Amino acid sequence: MRSVQMRSVQEIASLVVMLVIIVVVMSAASPVFFTTRNLENTLLDITTVGILAIFTTMLMIGGGLDLSIGSTLALGGVIVGVYQEAWGILPAAGAAILVCGLVGLINGFLVTYVGINPLITTLGMLSIARGVAFVLADGLTIPVFDLQGTQTDAYTLFTQFGEGRVLGLDTPVAVMLALFVLALLVMQFTPYGRAMYAIGGNYQASNLAGLAVRRYRMIAYMLSGLSAGVACVLLTSRLYAADPRAATGMELTVITAAVLGGISLAGGKGTLIGTMLGVLILSALMNGMKLLSTSTDAQNIALGLVLLLAVGLDQIRQRNFNIMRFLRSSRLVPEVARVSPAEGSQS
Amino acid sequence: MTAPLLTMQHIVKSFYGVKVLDDVSIDLFAGETLALLGENGAGKSTLIKILNGDYRRDGGEILIDGQPVNIDAPRDAENLGIRMIYQELHYAPELSVAENLLLGALPRRGGALNWLIDWQQMNRQAHEALALLNVDIAPTTKMRDLSVVEREIIEIVKALSRQARIIVMDEPTAALTPPEVQRLFGIIRGLQARGVGIIYISHRLDEVFEIAGRITVLRDGKHVGTNPRAEVTHQSLVQMMVGRSIEDRAEVRAQSEAITPGAVALEVRGLSKAGAFNTIDLQVRAGEIVGLFGLLGAGHTLLTQAIFGAIKSDSGTILVDGTPARIASPQDGQRAGIGFVPLDRKVNGLVLDMSVRKNITLSNWRVLTRFGAFQRGLEMQHSRNWVDQLGIRMAGGIETHTRYLSGGNQQKVVLARWLEANVRVLLLNEPTWGVDVGARSDIYDQLEALAAQGLAILMVSSDIEEVLSVSHRILTIYKGRLTGEFSQSDATQEKLLHAAAGGQS
Amino acid sequence: MNTTVAAERSRSQPLRLAALLKGERLTTLNLFATFILICLIFASQSDFFLTLDNFLNVGRTLGVVGIVSIGMTMVLISGGVDLSVGSVAALSGVVTSILWLQADVPLGLATVIGLGACVLVGFINGFFVAVMRINPLITTLASFSIVRGLAFVLSSGQTNQLSNPAFQFLGRGDVVGIPASLLLMIALFAAAFVVMHFTQFGRNLYAIGGSAEASRLAGIAVRRHLLIVYTLSGLLSGLAGIVIASQLASSAPRAAVGLEFTVIAAVVLGGTSLSGGKGTLIGTLVGVFILRVLDNGLVQTRVSSFYQDVVSGSVLLLAVGFDQIRQKLAAAVKDRS
Repeated sequence: MRSVQMRSVQEIASLVVMLVIIVVVMSAASPVFFTTRNLENTLLDITTVGILAIFTTMLMIGGGLDLSIGSTLALGGVIVGVYQEAWGILPAAGAAILVCGLVGLINGFLVTYVGINPLITTLGMLSIARGVAFVLADGLTIPVFDLQGTQTDAYTLFTQFGEGRVLGLDTPVAVMLALFVLALLVMQFTPYGRAMYAIGGNYQASNLAGLAVRRYRMIAYMLSGLSAGVACVLLTSRLYAADPRAATGMELTVITAAVLGGISLAGGKGTLIGTMLGVLILSALMNGMKLLSTSTDAQNIALGLVLLLAVGLDQIRQRNFNIMRFLRSSRLVPEVARVSPAEGSQS
Repeated sequence: MTAPLLTMQHIVKSFYGVKVLDDVSIDLFAGETLALLGENGAGKSTLIKILNGDYRRDGGEILIDGQPVNIDAPRDAENLGIRMIYQELHYAPELSVAENLLLGALPRRGGALNWLIDWQQMNRQAHEALALLNVDIAPTTKMRDLSVVEREIIEIVKALSRQARIIVMDEPTAALTPPEVQRLFGIIRGLQARGVGIIYISHRLDEVFEIAGRITVLRDGKHVGTNPRAEVTHQSLVQMMVGRSIEDRAEVRAQSEAITPGAVALEVRGLSKAGAFNTIDLQVRAGEIVGLFGLLGAGHTLLTQAIFGAIKSDSGTILVDGTPARIASPQDGQRAGIGFVPLDRKVNGLVLDMSVRKNITLSNWRVLTRFGAFQRGLEMQHSRNWVDQLGIRMAGGIETHTRYLSGGNQQKVVLARWLEANVRVLLLNEPTWGVDVGARSDIYDQLEALAAQGLAILMVSSDIEEVLSVSHRILTIYKGRLTGEFSQSDATQEKLLHAAAGGQS
Repeated sequence: MNTTVAAERSRSQPLRLAALLKGERLTTLNLFATFILICLIFASQSDFFLTLDNFLNVGRTLGVVGIVSIGMTMVLISGGVDLSVGSVAALSGVVTSILWLQADVPLGLATVIGLGACVLVGFINGFFVAVMRINPLITTLASFSIVRGLAFVLSSGQTNQLSNPAFQFLGRGDVVGIPASLLLMIALFAAAFVVMHFTQFGRNLYAIGGSAEASRLAGIAVRRHLLIVYTLSGLLSGLAGIVIASQLASSAPRAAVGLEFTVIAAVVLGGTSLSGGKGTLIGTLVGVFILRVLDNGLVQTRVSSFYQDVVSGSVLLLAVGFDQIRQKLAAAVKDRS
């Protein structure tokens, strides 16, 4: 029996080591990497992934999965773009956040009340939300700024979301950090966080213990959608444009970061700190490679390799997987040495 | 005299310097059922895993037909005709019985290449294998459509059809009803007649007395004794297992004064669910333990689930402390002051990878939070309180994950959770399944203490001794209808079984 | 004893109803009815929809999704999933075109090597899933990213011409009026059907997906089966990539983006369970037909192509949702026994 706290401390420590190694290597390779300016830019770049990752982590700890966040984000952005004139930019932004929350709510409803597999549900929603975004935008990128010059004040405020500064930080970074701290507190100290761990750990037992499992899980999906809404407003404000193609495949980056940070697809495990370290590791890697003028395609390869490496090493550590033993049993037949199903009870 | 089919001599095994098996010897003859008894931690599983090659022994010898053999891996055990039937069954639900029986070695045809499955041949072979033990299940039935006992029987037939000489059964009756147990015993007798040696592990002494020829008891990794069935009694076996004598509960209870239960805490009026139970009327008073006895499938488990809200009932009312409660979900049940201890605590009772503390407080967060956040000190104090009061024992303190607790202590954590939630009524399902003899009596003591404090307890059990020794009042259920009510003093095994089998009381 | 017999008899009656409600036959039948219904709706909206030409149009688009969904069905039945199929399909075209154009390898050989690369990717997926025991979703998510990246790096992001009459036959040619890619798909489906239903290997896959532990205990080489299945999925995805390249007479690193979604949707629509051990190739075939006909019908009825994603996503959720509700009803009926 290993102390669980010890294990998670070890996990976090190994992530920190990984991050430090990447930073050191990248700083050595590129003089630009470890400069305030570049680090600030990197932070700004990861805000979208970071915000999504926070809520994806909460959802995954509760045993859920949301592949539709990238599409939802694009849909939200398009809503801002399309309705900025008719409704005014700020109401449009509010509506975008609400619609994203609604998308999450529908996901949650389908998963918890109808009982569709989350992978299927959110894969379907990925397709639907992206499709609606394209339909609304007619496939075009929509500029988001005050074309008519009639709502100057509102746009000034709106651009603050993406470009303003709060407490010496870029607003998106500040928002991300605020959400992160809030989520951390929620997961650590409130019944909601406890419920997520309990439901992810054992759904049935949590239900029979009288927890409102469906409601909790549905809220987690809704929050996941809402986070896409918040991220889309920040992004649209920063880019002055809404693109129905935005954040394509971002769900994969987010899940990669979470899994890298120790979140299990089965739920019940992991921490937000781990996920954030995962996000930082990925972005340091990507940014460093960009500075070394590697193509974005090579960055994709690195992303996948890092994921496999992280999960593979973890597996080797956990199961004492022995490569020599495997090679010796060259016929690839199932290895027979194992412990019986009833682990833990030794009589 | 012929050599025994299997001899395990002077087996020694240590884990990290702790001796879990110390000079244990058993032998098993062809056509015999040897029961292996002992509390959790006595070394039964380790012994069996050594026989199956899962663990390597540190010392001792294994002989088959008098010849020493090497068992270093499960494959060796398989080649020697040793088969394990675990509690958890493994099967492919979407495949037919025949395919499951012959899994991995389906008969084939198709000329020289021989690559097509020969369905006719397969079904014929399966039919023959089933007929060997007089099993009446169609080979083409899908595995998922079978009942639990039928799946278990298929597992046994599978073992037999693969030239099993020794079959080890680990608590095979854990999920079976009495008639199903009888069906299983019929199969075991068939195996004996075919010269197979059976090692039978169980916590249920009455079953052991029925099926085993000889009984071996282990305690703390040591061999306490092996005796023919005729030479031991219930009492002496328990004494051998526990190392001290445990007084007969029924006698103790008979001597103690009759309790005087309080007001009606739980009342069920005309509760019905089509196909499950019908117009159930019952009352449980504060301070009273009511046993609900029936054969599995009689509807009692579903009844408790419906009272708690885990499943929906069609009609009827539930009153807690005289107030009608609308219960449509477990949350409603909890809010109404009802606690529910489910059948399988590992699957339905506990979050195994959460600490004892968090499991205890899982159902009652309201009093532990202020401004939406847990008050850690208060939570600690509450959970410690229950750990002390119920005597929950765990190796690593209150932050130990419940996964690492023994069955009895896990059950106490589930109990503690409902006590922490301040329930008025506790619904128990088979509270001592998979709990060893010593811990069992501890749980009974706790239940009595809780009742004495004014809790109303409705206990579902298919263990007739348990029902008789713990309940103040006993109800019997048959095919979804209550068929009898007995006070503790006039209930007997015969009467209960008669009523639970549908006879008029 | 008498009472138990009676009890069992009374139990078997409603069970039969439950079995009927749950039966795959009904699922496939439902699916087929859905398919007909969709066809009728489109036929009433567009005169061109029910013509032979249009059928051949649909037939031409079936091949790619159909071929990949064969492998996906097997992977899902074995209890896994393969998200890398789209990337792998792009890889085969890219490798083939680069070898042919830049290394002067004969086109036939180049194609074989391109397929070989995909087989290798599939094998590596299988290795991580079966031997390293990494969650298949994670494994193939990683290879999804890696392989797509490789396709871009190898091709420098360029689209390469692959105009060669023999090569283009697969994608554009007909055999007695039937598109060659469709014939290839049908042949592969037939072969896979035989494998899944009449051979030990196929039945073993069902067993592994149903219970890996039971299969291991029965002496089935679980790892080897999984390795083969993922390798096969890689090969079939590669083949689909060749078909795409042959249809377009070019290879692009962007090819088959999102193919994994269409394929998984088709397979799940066809009744295959994500939890493994359950599913049929016939169901998958119908699923592929439904999705492709939907796409085609939307084009015929002049609905903006942007709606296609919306419709296919909705159909998936509706179909699976209804199936889920039906299963709950069946379970309720079974409860009452």
